[in-house]
Amino acid sequence: MKLNIEGLLVYFPYDYIYPEQYSYMLELKRTLDAKGHGVLEMPSGTGKTISLLSLIVAYQREYPLEVTKLIYCSRTVPEIEKVVEELRKLMEFYSKETGEKNNILALALSSRKNLCVHPEVSSLRFGKEVDGKCHSLTASYIRAQRHSNPSLPSCRFYEEFDAMGKQVPLPAGVYNLDDLKDFGRRKGWCPYYLARYSILHANIIVYSYHYLLDPKIADLVSKELSKKSVVVFDEAHNIDNVCIDSMSVNITRRTLDRSQANVETLQNTILKIKETDAAKLKEEYRRLVEGLKEANVARETDIYMSNPVLPDEILQEAVPGSIRTAEHFVGFMKRFLEYLKARLRIHHVVQESAPQFLKDIFEKVCIDRKPLRFCAERLRSLLRTLEIADIADFSAITLISNFATLVSTYSKGFTIIIEPFEDRTPTIANPVLHFSCMDPSIAIKPVFERFQSVIITSGTLSPLDIYPRILDFRPVTVASFTMTLARTCLCPLVVGRGNDQVAMTSKFETREDFAVIRNYGNLLLEMSAIVPDGIVAFFTSYTYMENIVASWYEQGILENVQRNKLIFIETPDAAETSMALEKYQEACENGRGAILLSVARGKVSEGIDFVHHFGRAVIMFGVPYVYTQSRILKARLEYLRDQFQIRENDFLTFDAMRHAAQCVGRAIRGKTDYGLMIFADKRYARADKRGKLPRWIQEHLTDGSLNLTIDETVQLSKHFLRQMAQPFRQEDQLGLSLLTLEQLQSEDMLQKIAQIAHQA
Amino acid sequence: MAALSEEVLLVVKRVRQRKQDGTLYLMAERIAWGPEGKDRFTVSHLYADIRCQKISPDGKAKIQLQLVLHTGESTNLHFSNESTALKDRDAAKDLLQQLLPKFKKRANKELEEKNRMLQEDPVLFQLYKDLVVCQVISAEEFWANRLSINNVDHSLSNNKQEVGISAAFLADIRPQTDGCNGLRYNLTSDIIESIFRTYPAVKQKYGENVPHNMTEKEFWTRFFQSHYFHRDRINTGLQDIFSECAKQDEKGLKSMVFQGVKNPMVDLLSLEDKSLDEGYGSNSTAPSTSNTNKTVKENSNSAIIKRFNHHSTMVLAAGSGKKADAPNGQACETSSTDGNSRDSDFFQPPIKKVKIQDVIEYEDLHRENGKKTVALNLKKSDSVLSGSALCTASCAIAALSPGGVLMQALAQQAINQMVPNDVQGELKHLYTAAGELLRHFWSCFPVNTLFLEEKLTGHLEDMFQMAYNKFHAWQTRRMMRKT
Repeated sequence: MKLNIEGLLVYFPYDYIYPEQYSYMLELKRTLDAKGHGVLEMPSGTGKTISLLSLIVAYQREYPLEVTKLIYCSRTVPEIEKVVEELRKLMEFYSKETGEKNNILALALSSRKNLCVHPEVSSLRFGKEVDGKCHSLTASYIRAQRHSNPSLPSCRFYEEFDAMGKQVPLPAGVYNLDDLKDFGRRKGWCPYYLARYSILHANIIVYSYHYLLDPKIADLVSKELSKKSVVVFDEAHNIDNVCIDSMSVNITRRTLDRSQANVETLQNTILKIKETDAAKLKEEYRRLVEGLKEANVARETDIYMSNPVLPDEILQEAVPGSIRTAEHFVGFMKRFLEYLKARLRIHHVVQESAPQFLKDIFEKVCIDRKPLRFCAERLRSLLRTLEIADIADFSAITLISNFATLVSTYSKGFTIIIEPFEDRTPTIANPVLHFSCMDPSIAIKPVFERFQSVIITSGTLSPLDIYPRILDFRPVTVASFTMTLARTCLCPLVVGRGNDQVAMTSKFETREDFAVIRNYGNLLLEMSAIVPDGIVAFFTSYTYMENIVASWYEQGILENVQRNKLIFIETPDAAETSMALEKYQEACENGRGAILLSVARGKVSEGIDFVHHFGRAVIMFGVPYVYTQSRILKARLEYLRDQFQIRENDFLTFDAMRHAAQCVGRAIRGKTDYGLMIFADKRYARADKRGKLPRWIQEHLTDGSLNLTIDETVQLSKHFLRQMAQPFRQEDQLGLSLLTLEQLQSEDMLQKIAQIAHQA
Repeated sequence: MAALSEEVLLVVKRVRQRKQDGTLYLMAERIAWGPEGKDRFTVSHLYADIRCQKISPDGKAKIQLQLVLHTGESTNLHFSNESTALKDRDAAKDLLQQLLPKFKKRANKELEEKNRMLQEDPVLFQLYKDLVVCQVISAEEFWANRLSINNVDHSLSNNKQEVGISAAFLADIRPQTDGCNGLRYNLTSDIIESIFRTYPAVKQKYGENVPHNMTEKEFWTRFFQSHYFHRDRINTGLQDIFSECAKQDEKGLKSMVFQGVKNPMVDLLSLEDKSLDEGYGSNSTAPSTSNTNKTVKENSNSAIIKRFNHHSTMVLAAGSGKKADAPNGQACETSSTDGNSRDSDFFQPPIKKVKIQDVIEYEDLHRENGKKTVALNLKKSDSVLSGSALCTASCAIAALSPGGVLMQALAQQAINQMVPNDVQGELKHLYTAAGELLRHFWSCFPVNTLFLEEKLTGHLEDMFQMAYNKFHAWQTRRMMRKT
């Protein structure tokens, strides 16, 4: 259908529309009009992606000068591919309706592992190996060497692309990962480099968060993207953690040992080069004197996105003299490594700030702040000059140099914690230096500053006001949309007690309590008897699940559960879990029914959907608080309190509840789907917990469904399941949660729709 | 004509039939005789076809055996080896005595079944009369088509449907104390079968050890004592005969894990696009916890979890009727055909694409349109349509169908009042007979054997012709009567 969203003609590739989709597009349009950022929460399964794409593509067509590019970031590879397929559908609809060929170029970008077509390289199993092998075939100096020595191996796909691929832009169309590979195979071009080259002129790019948020990758891939882009972060409920992870560094003894080896290799290579090609080093020296002016000019003229590891001030200066020659730099790094080694030789935990660390390093080994800041840049230059083939081998020294730059650049937002051993094993020395980022806004700041509109969206972003605070930006739109339902297809229940009235909770003091474990077991047992097909249960942590499973096994509870359903359990091994997942789905398909025991914050809870019969009930055992004894977390909480005035408990609860919501939300993937959401902890009944659940779940959590016993839960569930099992037809939804174009245009409905968006 | 793989139960040399010397063979399903020096049988009867055997009375000079068939024919066999003739005959007789009743039951059953079907189904009976009694098709052909339908539910009732295995079958073996510091396990054959089906390794051990090395009882005692059965313990005992089973299981599990999953939507390994490099990230200390600093309890806990996954997988595999390691072979095949392990993505995309499209589909946002129908895809459709056989038949059917040429003459509303009952009945018979013939016709497709081709080109066409003639005769007869 064709919609009129405040004067904008939007093609929507379906015959009907959900009211909330219309409302969502409305808010989105206002955000784009204002050229500002937005935070939008809409339940999964209500067609968020297609609404986003429809509106932004329409906007792009209407105002091609205002919005030139859409950068759509998602989290997992399947998600990325899904988005591209939805886009394809939209584009097909466009050409069908308008009758003209599309001139929009849309493509997905992923790592080499997913795009490589080189027969040998692509057969490697791990992404890092593929990257390393690719680099050893395609690095510029390797290719230069090949001029003198043609017998060196090469990648014909890259050579072909380099020779031909850049002359003609990729023809318009929608390219998923497999399409790129096909295209690459046909033309004999490298799909990875083709995609990386093509994103500069593509209208729509779909890739993962890291390409924008991780400074190491963003600098390579995304820094030249147009300023007039709209950036969408989908599934953004964990965006702060992605930011933090990309800026944090851990240094162990092994890292130091490997760095030491790296430094020695560097030293030897320098000696060798000096004998054969001293001019090269001189040339490098000259370049370093001139400084990073080029990059600075590019950034000032708005061609480059800034890189948080490469702060502006550095760009204006030349590399300090003390590390300008190669030997001096290597000597400098050696000294720095020795210092770090000494710091790791401790017996008690040390926590200090970056300035403290800098002061200490100056006192002990006379290393200044300034050369430290240039470490990362200087090392990169050296590696380039020395023509090191396998960069992957130098990951350790790169890590150290990145740390050096970060620690000397940011006096705020980071903390250094040195732990001599792990908490669980105090007898085994395993010193680790955590350089931990506590401020997610550092990594995302360049994105907010550079691009005119950034949309943060997910099914679970409640409470909405917290994201602008922790990411430090001013949104123009903050809205939460509910799911309009013709039938209440979700049934959240809070189970607080066993039939013996013993409270059920995963609280630390009582979690080992026999009665609690038994009651949890009984709950699972009872549910396994009444819920058809699949049940997914989440635990708060892996160790907790292990312990509970073991005691359930001893008590014979699992045996009884097995009478009703097969049991599959998530393990720390991803491959094993994938297999268990597949078997779980097989068991649900063939009617036997199965239970999947899994972990909140685990891979399953973040990336796998349990549509329809794959998840008729989700049980959340306990409140998935993060492990609070960690020093890094404590430091972060302190920082949040001091900088953003967010109380520790508020943040912890927020974090726990967003993960709980993620877990239970896995089961509802649309309006025709249905599922039970069982919160098995009495603490969920409290207002402070309940209030942090997304609005679309909260709405259905009535007082009657709080603090239930197992028996009551079973009764309510039975009733719910029986109701839901009735046939559900399109007519039932029409006019309520599903609209035709005429219905949408009625005055009544527009008023109703206005209420769907809940402004925070 | 002789299938060499048939099991030969008895061979008697020097048996005469029609004054020719030869050899008599008693096979699993039939009895056969071939003349000396020739390697084919001139006489061959299925046991099911034999009604009874008769022997010559003792003391007679000729020692003979007569086989009487259901059709009434009989075959005489003369045992002519002077010294052992009587013994030979008796051996054959005894064996036949044992075998015949078995097949008789089957034969009778078949006859009974046919009888029953004819009695219960008057339409079928009429059809039988129309087609078989009028010799349009032979009885054999008539039943061949019928019984195949019949055989389906036969096989269902005979070879009982495979019952899945309860996931909790191990739990059903409840140990009971026998009162003097011992435990008693009650094993039923069902449970044993479940164990064997779920854990082929145990079955193998059983085959290896029972009864040569130990008694069955001893085997199961050891089984219950073993670490294998108690899955929370970690395998250490080398004495335990089941430690090998555990290793085998482990290997099976590993190979399954290594193969990875077929559904890209659940592959956790390829979920993440770009994992953080080593050393980056806020909580990357976890990998350092190797097995060495895990406590025994933790180890046993993770062993339990592994075993649960394994157990469920095996039960699932046993239930779906295929061996758990079956995909193993498949995977090897696919990877060996292209010689490149990663090339799997040459044929993976379709599955992946379908899965993704499945996921992004909002079915309720679409206008519901009629149910999708499967189009009949006829190859060489003109050859099918030009077949004269079909033409005649379909003409007849078309003419007889409501609204057809023959039916048009009759007023539509009161067709059942206008046409006398007997006419209706006769017409109906003709109609069903033609329908049955058409069924025969269509069941010949795809034409992949010589027999089918013959049937199609040869006598089916005749049959249609005959049916058409019959119909024509009836038509003229009716006309005559009318006028």
